Amino acid sequence: MNQWMTLFKKEMLEMSRNFKWIWVPLTFIMIAVKEPLTLYYMPQIIDSLGGLPEGAVIELPVPSAGEALAASLSQFNTFGVLIIVLITMGTIAGERKSGVAGLILVKPVSYAWFVTAKWASSMILIWFSYFLSYFLSWYYVGVLFKFISFTDFLQSFFVNGIWLTLIITVVILFNTFMKSPGAVGFISIGIIVILSLLSSSLPHLLEWSPALLSAYANAFIMGSNFPDELLPSIIVSVFMITLSLLASIAIFKRRELA
Amino acid sequence: MEFIESINWAILAPIVIIQLILMAVAIIDLVKIEKANGPKWVWALVIIFINLLGPIIYFIFGRRS
Repeated sequence: MNQWMTLFKKEMLEMSRNFKWIWVPLTFIMIAVKEPLTLYYMPQIIDSLGGLPEGAVIELPVPSAGEALAASLSQFNTFGVLIIVLITMGTIAGERKSGVAGLILVKPVSYAWFVTAKWASSMILIWFSYFLSYFLSWYYVGVLFKFISFTDFLQSFFVNGIWLTLIITVVILFNTFMKSPGAVGFISIGIIVILSLLSSSLPHLLEWSPALLSAYANAFIMGSNFPDELLPSIIVSVFMITLSLLASIAIFKRRELA
Repeated sequence: MEFIESINWAILAPIVIIQLILMAVAIIDLVKIEKANGPKWVWALVIIFINLLGPIIYFIFGRRS
């Protein structure tokens, strides 16, 4: 366990040297908080851009608080996912390329600990940024529109967070058997896009798909209840997360020894 | 410019501050770093002139050695 803490601390140190602890939370906050703000100021924005004929009247329905918060949530699933993939795609592949991984693994370091330390440090960074930004967005929605109950906020936070966790784990999995960070990012994004497209176009066939967790959280925050399929899809996601983590350790061991 | 006046700056200020912090951190890092991924002055232009995304693009793609 001592060894794991050393590896973990090394990851944390590297993240602070890369300024990841500064820019990832700030970026998440910006993409999340931007949504309720633009929704709130939409009439003024349209007015100021002009180009409308004299006397044109546009009646915009005032978005509900739930819609505004759901808009931030969907930002995490587009722009947020992109950032998650971009910052985690190099964690192992990049170190292998530059030779740092080799330097560490010459010593009697457990491969499982090497992979899980990386996974845990990415998880902490992303969950921290995600919570901070989603919380601020919730606060903004409360100030500009109406406060949504905090338990609803927490529930949607955790449901969507499971999907983000799965994404981190999948990126780590591809990290273990591909050499170039670019390829890792490309394939992970491809798989995520295919999974979400399939799940959202065939929701009645893939009710348990982890990609639907974000859709469930979205619908929940807009006022409807969680469907019965929520629990199975959470179980499927947790199962997939553990499976990919175990697989990445196994693959990493084989690749490094070969 | 009634549009400018109609905005509640207390609400918008945090966004502007975050943007400025990101920009400042990116510029400081760019000055301190030994070698960026490409010419430094191009990265400086990217950070300063591309709104919102500039510093992020720099942190993701500019720091590779």
